[in-house]
Amino acid sequence: MLRSSSCSRAFALALVFLALSAAEAFAHCFVGPRFFPATLATDDPCVADEMSLPTVAWSKTGDVPAATEWDVSVELSKRITEDLGISIGDTWSNIHQPGGFTQAGFGNLETTLQYQLLKDGPHELALLLGLIVDWGGTGAINSGLADRWSTLTPTFYFGKGFGDLPDSFGWIRAFAVTGQIGYQFPTRNFDVDTGSFIPQVLAYGASIQYSMPYLKSEIRDYQFPDFINHLIPIVEMQLSTPVANNFGNSGLTTGTINPGVIWVGTYFQVGAEAVLPVNHSSGTGVGFLGQLHLYLDDMFPTTIGRPLLGGSSAPPQQLKF
Amino acid sequence: MRIRILFTSLFLATFSNVAAHAHAFLDHASPLVGSTVASAPHEVALTFTQNLESSFSSVQVTDANGARVDQGKAQISGNSMRVGLKSLSPGTYRVRWHALSVDTHKTEGSFTFIVGGR
Repeated sequence: MLRSSSCSRAFALALVFLALSAAEAFAHCFVGPRFFPATLATDDPCVADEMSLPTVAWSKTGDVPAATEWDVSVELSKRITEDLGISIGDTWSNIHQPGGFTQAGFGNLETTLQYQLLKDGPHELALLLGLIVDWGGTGAINSGLADRWSTLTPTFYFGKGFGDLPDSFGWIRAFAVTGQIGYQFPTRNFDVDTGSFIPQVLAYGASIQYSMPYLKSEIRDYQFPDFINHLIPIVEMQLSTPVANNFGNSGLTTGTINPGVIWVGTYFQVGAEAVLPVNHSSGTGVGFLGQLHLYLDDMFPTTIGRPLLGGSSAPPQQLKF
Repeated sequence: MRIRILFTSLFLATFSNVAAHAHAFLDHASPLVGSTVASAPHEVALTFTQNLESSFSSVQVTDANGARVDQGKAQISGNSMRVGLKSLSPGTYRVRWHALSVDTHKTEGSFTFIVGGR
């Protein structure tokens, strides 16, 4: 039964991707001269036509003794209009206990509706609102990898580049920060299976990134090798803190800090990060996170790289100089 | 099995018809971005990573007071854009460009260069 529903979901995901093939195009996360890459552990501050295929994570859990966990995720993002977008994604997990016991299966299907509040090019500022829905009962409940209940997470995202600082700041202008903060509401208050309360959680994260492409094209071209000029070193942080309905559970903040680097190409980017748990409840030792991310608007500018609605068929307005 | 079905479906969908267009990034500039040149250049030349739509791409060069020092309309061919300059005195100059790649992706940017080692 589970196998059948998962196969159907895989086909449905692929069909949704194929069906979104008739609209209009502009960009992934460009804000003025600043390009914000797709971050691996958090989300970038733009609606876009893009796909993470796949994101792979390896880590050791905080259990004693620690279990080994592999996660493989896929996420497809598609603009409905220039400012409104949806994402759909899922994660397959394999958790291997030291005694030989293994849990494997899909988590719940996750969708996100996002609206672009602002893109201020001169100030390299992007603001985004989103609603993340984790659809209860769509994953491997019996394996303990998915919940029976759904979770709603209204989330605010931002991105800010420092390129609007005075020229005298020099190479510092290539820095940028992104962040997000959301509040998770489960659709149930109590888990009858485990006899515990289901907490409401504050989920937040941020990144600080240094853009070598920006340094080269906006500040100073040091004529580094081409490979170097495509790199964006980054440190991400993702945390969650139970804040309500948490009776009898630990109120401890959990999360990870992820130093890494993203290589940005014309049609795709590749990212790799180390995963450092912030405390023992968040994991054990150093994990790994890797991602191949495709820019669908560049790969398919005349088909699925366009918004579904509201795209202009008229030629763009001629620039006046 | 189901993972294989999902990945196979998505990969086939993704790579079956990739077009050779994308955003036009500034690949190289003359004078170099952020450079100091001993003698005044006669033109600014920009090379991009994609071919440009000439009617909708442009470049302007201004001095420290914001006054235009370029000679007007840029010459655009393929992935390059160049504009002639008036006689430049020592000082800092800013180049602002807008590019529309042939598949209608827009990009923009600016940088400075210094003439005369000031």
